[in-house]
Amino acid sequence: MNDTDINADAADRLLLQRMVAGDRAALAVLYRSYHGRLCRFLSRLTRRPDVIEEVINDCLWIAWQKAGSFHGDSRVSTWIMGIAYRCGLKALRQHGDEPVEDDNLPDALVPSHDPGEDRELRDWLGKGMDRLSVDQRVVVELVYGVGHSLDDVAVIMQCPVGTVKARLFHARVKLRNVLPSLAGNTSIKEGTL
Amino acid sequence: MTFPINTGRDCACAWEAMPWVLQGSASQEQSEWLAQHLAHCSSCQAEFAQQQRLQLAMSLPSDIPLDAEVGLRRLLGRLDTPELQQAPAPRRVRTSHWLTRALVAAVLVQAIGIGVLGVKLRSSGDSQPASYRTLSQQAAPSAPGAIHVVPDANMKLAEWDTLLHKLNLQVIQGPNDVGAYTVVPASVASAPPQTLAQLRATPGIRLAEPVAATP
Repeated sequence: MNDTDINADAADRLLLQRMVAGDRAALAVLYRSYHGRLCRFLSRLTRRPDVIEEVINDCLWIAWQKAGSFHGDSRVSTWIMGIAYRCGLKALRQHGDEPVEDDNLPDALVPSHDPGEDRELRDWLGKGMDRLSVDQRVVVELVYGVGHSLDDVAVIMQCPVGTVKARLFHARVKLRNVLPSLAGNTSIKEGTL
Repeated sequence: MTFPINTGRDCACAWEAMPWVLQGSASQEQSEWLAQHLAHCSSCQAEFAQQQRLQLAMSLPSDIPLDAEVGLRRLLGRLDTPELQQAPAPRRVRTSHWLTRALVAAVLVQAIGIGVLGVKLRSSGDSQPASYRTLSQQAAPSAPGAIHVVPDANMKLAEWDTLLHKLNLQVIQGPNDVGAYTVVPASVASAPPQTLAQLRATPGIRLAEPVAATP
C-alpha cells in the first residue's frame, strides 16, 4: 500500500466516523468518491444500468447503516467493494445476468465522448471478458482495474487467497488465448495447466 | 500449474510478477528484475505488452455512465423513508424455490391420497364385515342344540327329509366340503336329548356330533 492509498484510506475512515454520527454530507462525499469505481466494477457483473444503480445504492445504504461496525481490519475501499460484490451477486440472482444490448440503452446513457481509441480498446477488452466467468471478471477488475492485492481480493470475495490466485491465473490464460493480437499466436490450452 | 510461457523458470516468475509490477505494488527489486528479464525474452515482452493494454482497458471509466447525483438523491431519499421501508433489499425475495414447491406438492398429494384411503376404508368397514376371523376374535355363537350331521352319500333325499321331519329338525347350514349339514331343532322347546342318539342310530347317517361350544 503506497502513500496515496494510505491517505485515501485515512480520509475514508474519517468519512465513516462522520457517518456514524449521522453526517449525510460525509455520505455524499463517500458516494461521489466511490460511484465511478463501483459503477465500473458492477459493469463487469451486469450491463443493466438500473441494476447497477440499485446495487450501488444498496451498497452505500449498508455502508451508512454499518459504518459503526467497521473496525478497520481492512481498508475502507476493501470493505465497500466486498459489500458491493455481495450486493451484486444478490442482484444477479434476482434479476438474472442477461446483458442489455447497447442498442437498448437510453440515449442519455450512451457516453457523449468516446474517442475512437477508447472504443477500440473497449471492444478488444470486451472480446476477452466475454469468455471469462463472473468470478474471473471480478478478479481481473479488482487486480487490474482497481489495483487490489491478492489478500484484498480474497477479503472482498470471502475466499482463500489460493482461490483468487487460481481465478486470476485462469483468467489471464483465457485472455491470452482470445486476445492474441499482442500476445503473438502462441495460444495454449488451459487443459494443460 | 504449468505456466503458459513455456520457457524457463524465469518466465514463470515473470508471469507471476507482471500484475503487481503494473500495479506498482511490487518491490523495486522485483520490478528491476522483471525489466531485465523482459529485455532478453520476447515471449514475456509480448505478454507484458498485453498486460499493459489490459490494465489500460480496465482503467477506462465504465461505458454505462450513471449520474451520481441522481443516484445520491435517491439514496438520501431512501434514508428519509420510514423504518419499515428501509430494508436493504426491498425487492421481491424469491422465497419459493422450485425444490420447495415440488416438496410441498408431493406432501399435498400424499395427504390427499391418505385421506381418500381413510374414507374408503371407513366406509367399507361400516358396510361389510370382514371375510376372515382372527384367533383372538370370538367365534359367532352357534345356535342352541345345533348338530353336525353327515348323511351317507347313498341316502335318498326323501329319506333325509323324512328323518328331519320325524326328529323335528331343520337344516341351517351345509352341506360343507365334507358333506356335513348343521341342523337345529325346529323349536327350542322341542329338542329332546335323545335326538342325537336317534340320529346316530339311523342307518343312513354316518356321523352326528353336537356343535361344541366356543372354548
